[in-house]
Amino acid sequence: MLNQAERERYARQIRLFGEDGQEKLKKSSVFVAGAGGLGSVVSIYMAAAGFGRIRIVDCDSVELSNLNRQVLHGSDDVGRRKARSAEEMLQGINPEIDVDAIVGTIDEDSLDRLLQGCDLIMDAMDNFPTRYLLNRAALQRKIPLFHGAICGFQGQATTIIPGKSACLRCIFPRAPPAATFPALGSTCGVIGSVQVTEAVKYVLGSGELLTDRLMLWDGLNSCMDEVACVRDSSCRDCCNKYNVETNNMWNNVETE
Amino acid sequence: MPDGSKREMELDGVRIEDILRSLGVNPVEVIVAKNGKIVSEEEQASYADELKIVRIVHGG
Ligand SMILES: [Zn+2]
Repeated sequence: MLNQAERERYARQIRLFGEDGQEKLKKSSVFVAGAGGLGSVVSIYMAAAGFGRIRIVDCDSVELSNLNRQVLHGSDDVGRRKARSAEEMLQGINPEIDVDAIVGTIDEDSLDRLLQGCDLIMDAMDNFPTRYLLNRAALQRKIPLFHGAICGFQGQATTIIPGKSACLRCIFPRAPPAATFPALGSTCGVIGSVQVTEAVKYVLGSGELLTDRLMLWDGLNSCMDEVACVRDSSCRDCCNKYNVETNNMWNNVETE
Repeated sequence: MPDGSKREMELDGVRIEDILRSLGVNPVEVIVAKNGKIVSEEEQASYADELKIVRIVHGG
C-alpha cells in the first residue's frame, strides 16, 4: 500500500499507470552496477520514480574529472567514496525508498552476495569484462539485465531477458579493447534514461521491450537507430547446454 | 561506416571480416549488421547487401 505522501509524490505516474503500477515499482529491488556517469542517471531516475529498494555499488572515490557527467556527486564530494555521496543524493531525492549503497568491487567472488534479493540488474559499468559477469549472473538467476554504454556523443542500449532474448554475449561475442573513453554527461542522460524506461516497462509488464534489438544513439548526428540481434545458438553464455546444466546443478547445491 | 558516412563497394561473396580490414577497421572494435541484422564477421556479403558497421562503445 502507498501512504498519503507517496500518493502525492507519484501523482503524475499514478495517472500514467495507476496505483497498482506504482506499487509494483515499490516492490522492486534493483541492483545498479556502478555510480559513474550512467549509474548517476540510472539511480537518480529510479529513486525519483519510486523503485522500492536500490542497491548501488562502486569502489571508487569522487574525482574532479568525474563531475562533468556523474551528477550523483557534487564539488564538495571530491575525495569521498562515490557510494556515500550516492546514498545521500538518492535518499535526499526520495526518503520513501531504501537505498543500500555499498563501497565494493564487482567481481566473480562478490557478485553473488551483492545480487542477493535483487530483481533487476542495471548495467552502468565502464568495461566489458564486468558486464560479462553481470550477464552470466542475470542468466543464472533468470533476472533481466538492462545494458547501456557510452563513449563521447555515442551510446548503445539493449534489454536482456534470460531464456527469451539474445544475451549480451550473443550481441557482443568479445570485448572491445579497453581504452580511456571521452564522455559527455548528456549522452549518459540519453542512455541511462532509456535503461530506466525499460526497467519501468519490465516491472509494469507494459509496452514493447528493447529485447533482441541494439539501440544506437549518435548524438553528433542526432540519430537514433537500431539493429536486430538474434540469440546465437552457439553462445557460450546462454545457449551452451552443458553450462546450463552445470548452472542448474550449482543452483540446486546452493539452495539445498 | 562508424562515422556515419556511406560507401558503395563492388563485392561478390566477400567475408565481412575481409571487408572490414580493407576499410582499415579493426574487427574487434565493431559489430556489423547486414540488412539490419547483426551477423558474424565470418559471413559473406555481396553488392546487394547493406552493411552497417557499428563501433562498440564500452564506457559508463
Ligand atoms: Zn547468449
